[in-house]
Amino acid sequence: MTTLTQTPLERRYARLGLLLIAPTVLIFCAVIIYPLVSALYLSLFKVFTPTLESSWVGLANYRELLASGMFWSALVNTLVWTAGTLTLQIVLGIGMALVLHQNIWFRSLARSLILFPYFISTVVAVLVWKWVFNDLYGILNHLLMQAGITNMPVDYLGSMPNAMISVILVGAWKYFPFVVIAVLARLQTIPEPLYEAARIDGAGPIARFFDVTLPQLRDVLVVIIMLRAIWDFKEFDLIWLLTGGGPSSSTETLPIVVYRQAFALNQMGMAAAWAVSMMAILLVFMIVYIRKTRDKGAV
Amino acid sequence: MKNTLTFPNGLTRRSMLAGLAAGTAVSALPRRAHAQDVTLRWWSPQGAPAQAEAYRYQIAAFEAVNPGIKVVFETTSDEGYAPQLAAAFASGEVPDIVTHLPSFAVQTYYSNGLVEPMDEVIAAVGADDYYEGANDVFKAADGKFCATGIGNTASDMLWLRRDLMEASGIAEAPKNWDELRAACQTMQKDGIFGAPLPYGQNSMTSLIFIGFIHRAGGSVFTPDLQLAIDSDATRNALEFYKSMRELCPPGATNYSWGESLTAFVSGACATGIYAGRVLANVTAQNPGIADQITCTTYPTMQADIPAWTFNDFPSVFIPAQSKQKEAAKAFAAFLFDPEGYIRQLHAAPGHVLPVLKSISANPTYQANEIIQKYSAEVDLMSSAAAGGFNLGYETSEHASNDKAGEVIASNAIADLVQRVVLNGDNVDTALSDCSKAIEAIMQA
Repeated sequence: MTTLTQTPLERRYARLGLLLIAPTVLIFCAVIIYPLVSALYLSLFKVFTPTLESSWVGLANYRELLASGMFWSALVNTLVWTAGTLTLQIVLGIGMALVLHQNIWFRSLARSLILFPYFISTVVAVLVWKWVFNDLYGILNHLLMQAGITNMPVDYLGSMPNAMISVILVGAWKYFPFVVIAVLARLQTIPEPLYEAARIDGAGPIARFFDVTLPQLRDVLVVIIMLRAIWDFKEFDLIWLLTGGGPSSSTETLPIVVYRQAFALNQMGMAAAWAVSMMAILLVFMIVYIRKTRDKGAV
Repeated sequence: MKNTLTFPNGLTRRSMLAGLAAGTAVSALPRRAHAQDVTLRWWSPQGAPAQAEAYRYQIAAFEAVNPGIKVVFETTSDEGYAPQLAAAFASGEVPDIVTHLPSFAVQTYYSNGLVEPMDEVIAAVGADDYYEGANDVFKAADGKFCATGIGNTASDMLWLRRDLMEASGIAEAPKNWDELRAACQTMQKDGIFGAPLPYGQNSMTSLIFIGFIHRAGGSVFTPDLQLAIDSDATRNALEFYKSMRELCPPGATNYSWGESLTAFVSGACATGIYAGRVLANVTAQNPGIADQITCTTYPTMQADIPAWTFNDFPSVFIPAQSKQKEAAKAFAAFLFDPEGYIRQLHAAPGHVLPVLKSISANPTYQANEIIQKYSAEVDLMSSAAAGGFNLGYETSEHASNDKAGEVIASNAIADLVQRVVLNGDNVDTALSDCSKAIEAIMQA
C-alpha cells in the first residue's frame, strides 16, 4: 500500500487554490444557499408578513397545502400554461428562425424587429394586449364584428377557456424571440455539405428539415426547452397583470398563489411552503428531463 | 377682488402663511419636525394627473416653510396597496405618510401595531372643524384614532343618463332591483349595455358586492363580528347579480374600478356604479353627455330596505416604523390647509368630498364649475357618503372589524361572485367555501 504525501509546495498551491475559489464559494452561499435555506426555514413557521411575527408549526404548512384542492388546481394550471406556451414558443421560434435564415429582403431589419416583443417590458406588453382584447374598444373584437364573425364582443380574459388560451398566446408572442435568436445562431453553423448530400439523396425540403436540420438543432433545443420551461413555470407578472389568476382561479398558477399567500393573506410562512414545493416540483421535472435527453443523446 | 400676492415660485401669500402656521404647529409637537435633510415618502392610490398636480402644490408650499424637509410623492393603486404595504412593513422600508386608503385597511394595520395614533394631527387640524362623527370610523379599540379622514367618497352611486331614460320611456330613477333590471333591459340596445357591474377577481367586485348584500337586507358579519354571510340576503344578492350579467359588457368579468368608470363615461353603458369622479371624467372626456348625467343612491332589493352606500373613508395615516414621525405629522396637518386642500378636492371634484365644515362652506371650494353645475348630485353624494359604511364598519351598530382589510385582500367574496355567476357553481357550496375562507382569516 502506498501513501500519497504532498510536498510543501503542493500544499501551498492547494491553500492558494482554496483561497482563490473562496470568493466564488462565498458569493454562491450568499445568493443561492442562504435564500434557499431561509425559504426552507421560513416554511416551517407561521409568519404574519407585515410584522414578521412567527410561531413554529413544523410541517403543518406543507400538510395544509397538500390537503387543499387549491394546490393541485394551481399545479394543473401551471402545467397547462407552461406546456402550452412553451410548445408555441418552440414551434413559432423554429419557424421564424428558418424564415430569417433564408436570403429574404430586409433580413437584417426583420431580424431586429423580431426581437421587439422580447425587449419591451411585460407591463407595456400586457397593457397593449389588454387594449387589443378589450370588449368595448379592442381592435380584435372590432375586426371580428366588422367581418360578421361574431355579433357580440368576445370575452377574452374573463371566461374559460378563453382566458387561458389568451394568456398562452400572449406568453408565446412575448417569449418566442428568445427561441428565434438561439435557433438562428445554430442554423448558421450547420455545414452546407450536409444539405447538399441530402439533396443528392433525393431529400425534399421537409425531409431535409427532419433529417438534417432538426437533429443538428437538438442540443440547442435541449437547452432552450430547459431554460424556457423553468422561466415559464415560474412566470408571474404576465399572468397576474392579464387575468389576476381569474376568472375564479382558472388561470391561477403556483407563483400567483405564492404572491397571494405572502402579500394578500399575509401568510409568509405558507407562501414559503408553496415556493419550496414549487421548487421541488421543478427540480424533479428537470432531473427527469435532463436524464431523458442525455440518454437519447447517448444513443 | 381677492388679494393674491404671488411669490416667484408660484406660491400665494395665503399658502405661505398657512405654511408658517404649519411650522408653528410643528414646533408645538413633541419633537422638532424641522430637522435638516429629512425626506418624507408619501403614498397614495389617488394619483390622477390633476391630483398629482395638486399634491405638488401642497408639497412645494410645505417645503417652502420647512427648509430641510423634502416630500416625495409615490403612487400606489387600489388593487396594489395591500401587497405593497405588506412588503414595506415587512422590510421596514415604509412610507412616512399614506393617504386615501380605506379605513378598514388602516384598522388592520393599527391592530398589529403598524400605525401611529393620529390624535395629535386631528387636534392640529381642529377636531371641532370635522363633521360630527367623521373620525368615528378611525377610532381604535384603545380609544385612539388610527387615522383621520382626508375625504369622504360615495363609491357606489347609481349613475344614469337622462337622455337614454327618456328615449326608453323611463320616467324616474329605479328604486328597487326589479325596476333597475327592467330599466337596464330597456336601455340595452344600439350597442349600449345596461350596466358596468364588476365581476372580476379583484377588490372592487368584493367591495361592490358587499353593498348588494346590505341592499338585500343582510350583512357579512353580525354587529359582534360573527360571520353572517351565509344568509338568504346573500343568496338574493347573488341571484340579482347573476341576472344582471347579461346586461353588462362581456369584459365585465375582468372589470375593476377603471374599466367600470370608463364604460359609463364613454357612453358604452346606460348606467354606472362609481363615485363622483364620473363628473370630471365626463366633462373632460365625453362632454356630449355632460348635461344628461345624474346620480342616485343604488337601489335596494325592496323599497322597505334602507339604502346602503359604500364609503371607503379615505384616510391619512403614518406608519409606526417611520423614522420621521414628527415631520410626517406636521405634513399630515398641513394637507388640510384650506388652499392646498381645496386644490386637492378640486382635482377630482365631487369624488373626494371634504370632511371639514369650514371647507364645505368655503366660497373657493364652492366656486368650482363642476361642483356648481352638479350641485344636486354633489349634495346627494355628500349626504350618502356621510351616512356610508364599509366592511370595517358595516353599520353603526357593528364593532370595528380590524380583519376587514385582509378579508377584502383575500378576494374570498369576489371568488364567491365569480363561482356563482360565471362558473354556475352551486350557491350553497360556494357560500360554504367563502364562509370557511373568511372564518380562517378571522381566526388567524
